[in-house]
Amino acid sequence: MAASVTGLLKPWTPRVLLVRWSRYNPYYLEPEPRKEVYHIPETELTPEQKEERELKSVRPIKAATNSVTSSVFNDPVLSKFVNMMMKDGDKIIAKGIITQTLENMKRKQVEKYHKAPEVKKAEIECNPYVIFHQALENCKPVIGLASIQKGGKFYQVPIPLTDNRRRFLAMKWMITECRDNKHRRTLMYEKLSQELLAAFSKEGNVVKRKHELHKMAESNRAYAHYRWW
Amino acid sequence: TCLSGTSKNACQSEQHLGQYYTVPASHFHTVFPHGLPPRYQQQVKTFNEGCVMVRQPALELISHLKRADYINPTLRYLLYGVKGSGKTMSLCHAVHYCSTQGWLVLHIPDAHLWVKNCKELLPSSYHASRFDQPIQASNWLRNFRTTNEHFLSKIKLRQRYVWTKRESTEEGRPLGELVDMGVSRVKSSSDVVGAVLKELRLQAGGTEGGFRLAVAVDGVNGLWGRTTLKKEDKSPVAPEELTLVHNLRKMINNDWCGGAVIATLSQTGSLYAPSSAYLPQELLGEEGFDSMDPFIPVPVSLYSEKEFESCYLYYLDRHWLQHPHSQTEEGKKELIFLSNRNPSVLERLCAFL
Repeated sequence: MAASVTGLLKPWTPRVLLVRWSRYNPYYLEPEPRKEVYHIPETELTPEQKEERELKSVRPIKAATNSVTSSVFNDPVLSKFVNMMMKDGDKIIAKGIITQTLENMKRKQVEKYHKAPEVKKAEIECNPYVIFHQALENCKPVIGLASIQKGGKFYQVPIPLTDNRRRFLAMKWMITECRDNKHRRTLMYEKLSQELLAAFSKEGNVVKRKHELHKMAESNRAYAHYRWW
Repeated sequence: TCLSGTSKNACQSEQHLGQYYTVPASHFHTVFPHGLPPRYQQQVKTFNEGCVMVRQPALELISHLKRADYINPTLRYLLYGVKGSGKTMSLCHAVHYCSTQGWLVLHIPDAHLWVKNCKELLPSSYHASRFDQPIQASNWLRNFRTTNEHFLSKIKLRQRYVWTKRESTEEGRPLGELVDMGVSRVKSSSDVVGAVLKELRLQAGGTEGGFRLAVAVDGVNGLWGRTTLKKEDKSPVAPEELTLVHNLRKMINNDWCGGAVIATLSQTGSLYAPSSAYLPQELLGEEGFDSMDPFIPVPVSLYSEKEFESCYLYYLDRHWLQHPHSQTEEGKKELIFLSNRNPSVLERLCAFL
């Protein structure tokens, strides 16, 4: 028995290999999905990169999730938005809605572009990805409110928000607005594309909600010193 | 590679392979009220123009149509290929050629629409065991009227048709009157369709009238399969028991002369057919293959490299490929890989990129 155990002393891999779980032993390394890293020839590697490559040939690596691709068209912000749209783990439907939204936005803009006179053509933005990112930027609040208890009462105190929190709030407002405040019979991609195009030109309900939050924070300026961090 | 301008259909040849030609906007409403695939119609609306790529199957069809003599019985052409390879678009190209040459075009957009999803099935007045489909028949007659306006007054009926006790159409009346009657009297519209097809068959090769008839059927395998329709006692309806299908089968038989029959197989709308089937033998079934038997098969393949290049450059030119990475070499390689050069898959990919 001792002989068989000594033969099995390799760098540690469990008997049940962990794939698709999110809790791994810290021994495991992150996967590298970008193609450019692997195209660098041997000679141009820096010493850190060489060390990293040697480490990767020895250690086990975590399984890559389904949402990460080496494709040039991969967009992390869009993947986050798809995950937020998803209900009951149905990523296919959520991804389908987003692709239809992008197509719809592009169709509307390209149609406007082809019908516009030469002078106005340069101003019309046709790229749906640019519109999506810009609309999200326009919806992100700069300052948020937190409910802090002082002397038995709760006050709405203006606080700074982290970047992740701002992005999350913008996406959440966009999705809830499209789900609740529109006509029952319009399809989700139609509602989303209308809302995104409005947010791109700084109109629409989501930027209005952002402005109202800013106004509330401005009016509660007096309580700002209740924040202790 | 792209946009050879609005060159005339008749002088397209192998030099123009892979290039796009523009269909004039006026032709879309007259020639194609119902024939084009829905995604292509959306594309036409977005780009504000309709461009069709000149491809090998369509050119082959058109050259056959030019050289065939119309004294012999009709030749039947069958377009077949994998899903999304461009069969319907080649059919529409041929139909456009026929209508610019002045032929009478009988375009049935999808034969599968006549064998499924029918809300009203009336027992036929003409023949006891058959069933009528008033909605589909009247829609088709309306579109037929828009396509062939100028023929309706020229063709005269050769027989007297009696519809009800009080209504009948006399000999010698123009065809337009018959079609109008079919559109307004919805109940007898299927019988009107049968009468129209019979008249056109009799008069197509005639020396005095002198028009040529092109019958273009999309999804021809729907005429010989099974239907999803049921009679009132829940027993299934065979396709022979539908008047529209019965009359259309008589058209596709090659016992008349003076025209051509161009047909397309289609798996997308077909009933009870596996999704990997695309060959004529599999989709038509025994009965269908025997009735279509002496036909000229025209295979429609996926895009070649030159055609793919041309499509890619067309989309770039029309500002359709907006993603910055899709305009690089790497993005193009990725598009080739993802779509496998399939025209419809490429179109759907480029839609959101």
